[in-house]
This record gives sequence, C-alpha cells and structure tokens, in this order.
Amino acid sequence: MPLDVIMPALGMAQESGVIVAWHKQPGDAVAEGDVLFEVETDKATMEVEAQGAGFLTGVVARDGDQVPVGDVIARISATADAPEEAPEPEKDAGDAQTATDDLPEGQTVIMPTLGMAQDSGLLVAWMVEPGAKVDADDPLFEVETDKSTVEVPAGVSGYLAAQLAEAGEDVPTGQVIAIISAEAPAQTVTRSAKGAAPVAKAPDPQPAPQETKAKPAAKPEPSKARQPSDPTGRILASPKARRLALEQGLDLSRLVAAGVAQPFHVSDIETLAAMPAETQALAGAAAAASLHLTAEIPAEGVTAFMAWASDTAGLTDSGAVMAGLAGGCLDKARPVVAVEAFGQRRLFDVPGHNLTAVTSVEDATPDLILRDLRATRITGLHMGGEDAPVLSLTTSGAGLTLTLECAQGQIAPAAALSLLGDFAGRLEQPLRHLL
Amino acid sequence: MAKAKTNTEDYMRMYRQMVRIRTFEDNANQLYLSAKMPGLTHMYSGEEAVAVGICEALTDDDRITSTHRGHGHCVAKGANFKEMFCELLGKEEGYCRGKGGSMHIADQSHGNLGANAIVGGSMGIATGAALRAKLQKKDDVTVCFFGDGATAQGLLYEVMNMAALWKLPVIYACENNGYSEYTKTEEIAAGSITARAEAFGIEAHQVDGQDVLAVNALTQKLVARARKGEGPFFIELMTYRYHGHHVGDINREYYRTKDEEKDWKDNRDPIIRFRAYLVDQGIASEEEIEAMNAEIKEDASAAVEYALAAKYPDVSEVDMHVYTDIKHACA
Amino acid sequence: MREITLSQAVNEALAEEMRRDETVFIIGEDVAEAGTPFKVLAGLVDEFGTERVIDTPIAEPGFMGLAVGAAMTGARPVVDLMFGDFLFLIMDQLCNQAAKTHYMSGGKLTVPLVLRTNLGATRRSAAQHSQSLHALVAHIPGLKVAMPSSAYEAKGLMKTAIRDNNPVVIFEDKLMYQEKAPVPEEEFLIPFGEANVKRDGTDITLIGTSSMVQVCEKAAEILAKEGISAEVVDPRTIVPLDEATLLASARKTSRVIVVDEGHQSYGVTAEIASRINEKAFYHLDAPVLRMGALDVPVPFSPALEDITVPTPEGVAEKARMLVAGEMIHAA
Repeated sequence: MPLDVIMPALGMAQESGVIVAWHKQPGDAVAEGDVLFEVETDKATMEVEAQGAGFLTGVVARDGDQVPVGDVIARISATADAPEEAPEPEKDAGDAQTATDDLPEGQTVIMPTLGMAQDSGLLVAWMVEPGAKVDADDPLFEVETDKSTVEVPAGVSGYLAAQLAEAGEDVPTGQVIAIISAEAPAQTVTRSAKGAAPVAKAPDPQPAPQETKAKPAAKPEPSKARQPSDPTGRILASPKARRLALEQGLDLSRLVAAGVAQPFHVSDIETLAAMPAETQALAGAAAAASLHLTAEIPAEGVTAFMAWASDTAGLTDSGAVMAGLAGGCLDKARPVVAVEAFGQRRLFDVPGHNLTAVTSVEDATPDLILRDLRATRITGLHMGGEDAPVLSLTTSGAGLTLTLECAQGQIAPAAALSLLGDFAGRLEQPLRHLL
Repeated sequence: MAKAKTNTEDYMRMYRQMVRIRTFEDNANQLYLSAKMPGLTHMYSGEEAVAVGICEALTDDDRITSTHRGHGHCVAKGANFKEMFCELLGKEEGYCRGKGGSMHIADQSHGNLGANAIVGGSMGIATGAALRAKLQKKDDVTVCFFGDGATAQGLLYEVMNMAALWKLPVIYACENNGYSEYTKTEEIAAGSITARAEAFGIEAHQVDGQDVLAVNALTQKLVARARKGEGPFFIELMTYRYHGHHVGDINREYYRTKDEEKDWKDNRDPIIRFRAYLVDQGIASEEEIEAMNAEIKEDASAAVEYALAAKYPDVSEVDMHVYTDIKHACA
Repeated sequence: MREITLSQAVNEALAEEMRRDETVFIIGEDVAEAGTPFKVLAGLVDEFGTERVIDTPIAEPGFMGLAVGAAMTGARPVVDLMFGDFLFLIMDQLCNQAAKTHYMSGGKLTVPLVLRTNLGATRRSAAQHSQSLHALVAHIPGLKVAMPSSAYEAKGLMKTAIRDNNPVVIFEDKLMYQEKAPVPEEEFLIPFGEANVKRDGTDITLIGTSSMVQVCEKAAEILAKEGISAEVVDPRTIVPLDEATLLASARKTSRVIVVDEGHQSYGVTAEIASRINEKAFYHLDAPVLRMGALDVPVPFSPALEDITVPTPEGVAEKARMLVAGEMIHAA
C-alpha cells in the first residue's frame, strides 16, 4: 500500500506550509529518511523526510505552492509508474474509515496532554516496532510539546498491534494513536493519523478553544409579545423616545389612540412625527375637548355609610361597595367598574343596585375607573383622558373632591354632568343609592 | 549615625531618643484621652530600647517596616514630632498629609517604609526591600519589626523561606512584649519562636529588649554581616508594653496583673536603667539628664500645640494620591 | 504586518522593557527555565538570567509581598501569578498593601509593580483554575486593571503597565495564548484609559472585554447578515475606564449590551451598564443588558462549562430582541 506524503504541521498555530523546493522528482527512488522537500512555516524552513522507501509518485504540489496542513501532496509507491492518479484525501479518509473496523482489539493509547497550552503533540518517533512485545513502563513513543520532548510509556503491557500515527505527525491530544493487544497480533496496522481522526478520536477531552466558546448557550429568551399598556395609565416609552417626543412637541397619547403597541421606541416617534398634520391638529382639538369636571362633598356621609355597611350589612369589601355606588350612576345595564386604591386595581361586575350582588371579576374591560386617592396627599389632578372615564376621589380639607375626566367622545357632556352629580349625591347621602 | 556606639554623644543620643519616644507617647495618650485625637492608637511605652537600640545601628539608607504600634520606630528612625503629631491629628502637614494617621506613618526620607495596620502585613514588604537591595547590588539592610502576635501569620514563614534561600539582607525583629492583643503569648505560640527561624537555617538570637546597649550591640554586628551577604537574621527582643493593646484598653486585669505591670515599670524600665548607667559611668550628670528631659517635654508640648492649631487638608485632597498620574481619581 | 501569538507578544513586551530598564524583573512560580506552564516566558531566563527571572517557592502571598517591598524601594517587579484564581491567596498584599500605600503615605511612596495573571473558562480546568476575577481587583481603588483582547493589546498594554508608577493587574485570557494577531515590529505602547472602537455600527453597541471582544465581533458578523449594524467597543483597561468613548457609542446607537467573562452579578458588566444608564439615560431606546458568566462555580464537564460563558449566538440573540424593541425583562 502506498504511503501518503502530507504537508506536516510543524508549528503550534500553523495552518499551512509553503513548499520551498522538492528534493526528489516524480519517479525517483526514495529511501526512508531521504529528504523529500523543504517547507517554510511561520518560524523556519524545515526538511521533510520520507516516511518509507519506494518511488515518489502522484506529486500534486509544486515549488512555491502553499498547502494546508494535512493535505496529501504526493505518494511513495512500490513502483515508479504507479497507476494511481493524484491522491484523493477524501477517498483516503474513506479507506481509513473502513480500516478502522479492522483495527485489532486491545487497549488504546492516546496522544497525551502534557503542556498547559497544548492542543496537539508532535509524534517524534515510535520506540517500539509494530507487533513487538511491550511492557507498561517501556517508552512507546516520543512526543514533542511546547518546548520539550518527552518519552511516553506504553501504560499497559502487551503487543503493539497498531500504530495509528506516523512519526512527524502533529496529532490532536486525546486522539488514539496506538493499540496494544493482549495476544501477539496475527497482523499489525500501521498508518497515518490524518484519515482516522474522526473515528478513533477519544471522547473530546480537550476541544479546541475557539470551538468551545462558539457554542450557543441555547437558552434564548422567549420572544415576548409587546406588553399591554401600564395599568396605572402611564404611557410606556423608552427614555430616548420620551425625550425626542418632548423636544419635538409630539404627544405620545396619539400613539396610544392610534393603537400602537407600547412601549414606544424611537421608531414609534418617527411614526408619530410622520402622522399627517391634520390628525395632529384634530388630536389637539380632541385633547382640548376632553372633559374635566369636579365636585366637592363633605366626607362624613360616606365614612358613616361604609361603617354601617360593614357592621350591619356584612359588606366588608369597601372596594366592592364603592364600585356598586359608582356603577349605579352609569347609564349602562351591567357595567364593569375598575377600583384603583393603594396601587392595586380590582375589577367589579355591577349587576344592579344591590350592593351585595357586586362581584369581583378578572379580565374585563372597565366602563368606568374609580380611582380612590383619599389615602394619598393628592388633592387635585388633571390627567387627561384614558381608556375609560376616570372618577377620582381626593381629600380636600375636611371634605372630598370628586374629579371626572373623560377623553373626547367617551361620554357626552350632559351624561358626564349627570354621572358626576349622581355619584356626588350618593356619596354624600348613600341611602340615595337605594332609591 | 551607625558609628561605633562607644562615645558619650552616641550614648546620650540613644537616651534622648528613648525619652523622646516615651514623651511622644505620653502626649499622644493625653490627646486621645481628652478626645482631641480621632481614631485609635497603640502605645509603644516600655519598648523604647528595642526601637532605639536597633535604629541607632542603621543609616538613613537602611529601611524599616513598622507596625500598628509604630510611633517608637518612627521616632527612632529620625522622624520629627511636629509632622508626627500633625499626622496623628489628621492635619495637612502630617507625614502622610493626614491620610494615614497613627497606624500608617511613613517617613521615606529616613527609610521608614511605613507602619502597617495588618498584623504581619509588612513582612513581605521588608523582605522585598531586601531582595531589591540584593538585585541592585546595594548594601542597605532592611529591618522588619513585628510583634509576637504576628508570628502566628503564615506570611512570615513564606518570606523567611525565600530570604534564607536567597540570603537576603533582612533582619526580622520580633518584639515579644508577652501579649498578642489581649492574650498571653504562651497561649498563641507553640514551641520556641527563635526555633521557627532556625528551622529555615536563619541565625536567630534572643536579647533583653529592655537593655538598649545589648540590643544595639547585637544589631550592629548583624547589620554589618547582613551587608556582606550573610543575612538574613532573626532577633527575638523580650520586652513589655506598659499600656493596653490600644489606648482604650484600660481594664486589663483579666489577662495580666497590675503587680506584673508594676514590676516591669519599677525594675526593668529601659530608660531608668540606662539613665542609672549613664550617671554611674559618669557620662552624664542627673542635672544634665533632667535638663534634656525638660527640653524634650517642651519640644513635645510645642509640637502638640502646633498640630492642634494646624489646618486640615482641603476636602479636594480626598481623591488625590489614589494614583500617581491621575490627579483626582474621582473627577 | 507580521502576526505573532499573544504569548509571543507578552514575551516580547517583557524582553523589550527588561532591556530598556534594568530595574524590571520577573518573579513567580516556575517562571525561569520552565517559562510558566503556558510557556509564555520561555527563553527570557536565557537572556536575563535567574537574577531577573526569579523562580520562587509556591508561596503566592510571600512573593507578592516581596514584589510590593521591592517596588516601594526602587525596583519594577512583574509578578507572575500562574492562575487568576490564586488572587484570593494574595488579596492582603495586593489590596491592603500595594493598592493603598501611595494614598496612605499621602503620595510619598509608590508601588510600580505589574501583576500578570489570567482569566477564562472552557479549558476544562474546573472551579479553581477557570475564574475571571478582574472585577474583584477593579473594585479596589489604587489598582489599575488591563484586559488585552489580542496579541496587539497584550504587547502594548504590558509595556505601558511596566512603565506605570502604580500597581497594575493584567489579565490575559489563557485560551488566547496561541492566537495570532498583527503586531508591528516597531515599538509601540497602548495608553491606559483609551477604548478601541473595533467595529463601527449604528443600531446597537456591544461592549466586550478580553476574549469577549471576539465574541462581540462574531456576534456583530451574525447580526450584519440580518441587516443589524452593531458597533463593537473594547475598553482595553477597565481601570481607568474610557467612559467618554463608551457613552458616545451608547448615545449613537441607543442600545447597549455589555459582555464580560466575570460573573454577571456585581461585576464589570453591571458597572459599565450602570454608568451608561446614569450618563446616557435620555439617549437609550432599550434597557442596557449585561451578559457575564453564569453565577455558578465553573463546572468541569464540557457540557456544563460551555453554557456558563457568553457566546456570539447568545449575544446576537439578545441584540436582536433589543433592536426589535422587545422588553426583555418587562415585569
């Protein structure tokens, strides 16, 4: 079987070599150890010797060619006129694959990791002939790493049944390079490490550093849909988007009205800026036309009623009571009222005037937002329209201030007046609710 | 400074330095107790013969590293009262511009590489200074002061090993005052302290730390040999601290008796002993000594007054001297 | 331009500086004939001898302490700490002594030393030989911290470090020792505190340190194919930090991911993200993201270890989400 002549790896981080000059011509007889060609690497020019005797054939690289490390560039054949065409490394690899199945049984010996920054070792020489008996402590081969040359003992006793790398080859650490069998082998295997690598490689003890970091964490953040608007009514926008809107005098609520999903980013500001001027003007008008009504009442009535409702009627949930009182003022059969207090929002279904029938619900669109700010220091507010009319309760002195705010078109002005008036009346004299 | 200590002038200087240390500490103690001095401080009183006996054998080119109980080393190595009191009070004119305080006074002009508030923290520094001397073929010697408590730190053994391997010109001066903070030394130190140095092949001596002449004579010999490459050396100096571990450590009968303290103060005080020797040998008269004591007392009072009136560093200095080349580190 | 490995670059820098300044010496474990386990220092002992390439016993606090003392007294030691993980052993000497000496002495003493060490996981070395602990020292005022991202930076930063009058810690990524990069033959230095914009972009800024610069560059290539233009910035030194360049890039792209191999919590990524948040808030169109090493001890098994460090794909994935305006950590 002809021997492959490959471009050897001579440096630590070498990927290719330049053939400076061939010392043998195609057809020349070569003896093992004859200089075949000179190769230049990043560090030096070196002579590459023949690994066996025969005739140089199938030369595919010329003087001056740059050849990747490991590529087959010629062969040493039994005859000068060997029939083979140029060598085909892929076919070789296939051969190696098949050959692997025929490997003798026994303990495998691998290229050891001896240095700290070492990915491979240069096999300098075999110190045991194929088929020879070997003791565990016998030096099996010589390997060069970083700066030193080390003799590696066999590790197990037996017979060297296979040499799976050739002297001069740079073999990745962890790759199997020999097999030591318990019995004297009937026939031995000797070949290059190149073709066999994928099959004979030990389970990846030291992958190349570049590859190790290239692996993705494979933990992608689930791609979330954009979040709905904030429950407190604050428009969500990036700091930059907010600054740009401010600088350009743009109203982010127009994006809300236009149904653009929040949070807003700079791209949304571009959309906003590109909105037709009329719409902008209309929106301005709309903003101006939003409703803002206030009413003032003494506080005692509602306080006393809540105490009575809790003690006598068993209505302990003040949120539900407030929702019932407010819902009763709406011109709608079965409204949903959102009650916001102490930073929490709860939704209530208000089926009629019976306060005990008010129940807490989830996931409904409120017809009215009741914002109870009595426990805060806020005494007045002017927030502009939101998704639904907002009734706010604030304390003012000894009394309460009720504020109704509606975006334009949410509710007719007359209905708004009626709503606020009615609610103020019910809070002042809660028994009116029962009428 | 490191001439033979056989003449009157040198003896008087040693006495003077011991009194200066005692006087400095008396004033520092008062400043602390009268709440004029911030922070905490550790008194050297009682151990004066150690610092003076050793430092009088050194030149300004020789280095020392000092400890949290470092005022004595600082004075003995040549520092001035004024800059020292300014430093103790955190004033701009202090040796470290008020940034170090009692436990970190460094006085490079006299070869004092600084006091260190980590017990045993300067052993590497002292040995490294000696390594530098050897590498640069200089003949200066470094003395590493540390207490018996610091012999429990592992760093000592790492650096003694290297100092012995490389024959470095360093002298390890272990001030054994009998107490590791609030604990008797015999409760924290197994075996012999000098034997530990000897285990590395380091020549070790034990000396009466209350006898300034004995300390000085031994140090002179060892310094001369260290200059010739015969180092390192180890000295265990048997001494006693009159005050507690720190100024506020007043009720200390749980770890040592008042009788014991009285015995050391009355019978083994280094200043009283040396004063008697000077008079006995006719080197100085009682009057001359009293005059010297009074002058030192006056110097100290003046320095204290000066320091109390001196100004604090400007607040803009807070982020200066973090780096050599960045004027204000937080700008 | 010729290409050399990071290992050769460090070796060249040391050799050049040792030729230029005879006070420079190397000290550490197996630095001389062995040239360190990574062979970075191979050959230096042949030129400079064992007096300037000093093998020590295995005593990290000891030789670190020696270096501090030598630096304080006129030498410029380069300390070789075999693994960054051993920083925990030398913390007192580095952080209590070296870092604070200049400040505590009010600017009188200097400690011009370089601590060479390494970082980086995925060498299958498990939890005590794989850590990236640069945030630990960057937290201590008085220390400078350099993080070369290729052979070019490794050489230029090392030369600057040796000439700096402050203690400097240089972290080399131990996986990069054999990686080549163009490095000029002629002498050059890279100043501290100057970030390098490795790649221009408009949509997002990827700030990376050490080998994470490469991760960011690879992520930028992935993103470029998708039409996302990523800018890659390498701070090169994290102390001092070139805040201006980082902020300018953040303002330009309005989105930032900070990638670093230290643990994510309380780390370098958090510090840089926070500064951008404080100083470029109104220019941000997305939250600033941190991507550090997983907050676990580095596991041995390759299957586990590989998922503890940021990857180009992982960075690209986050970048995509930020550019798409998705709220990554919305409540």
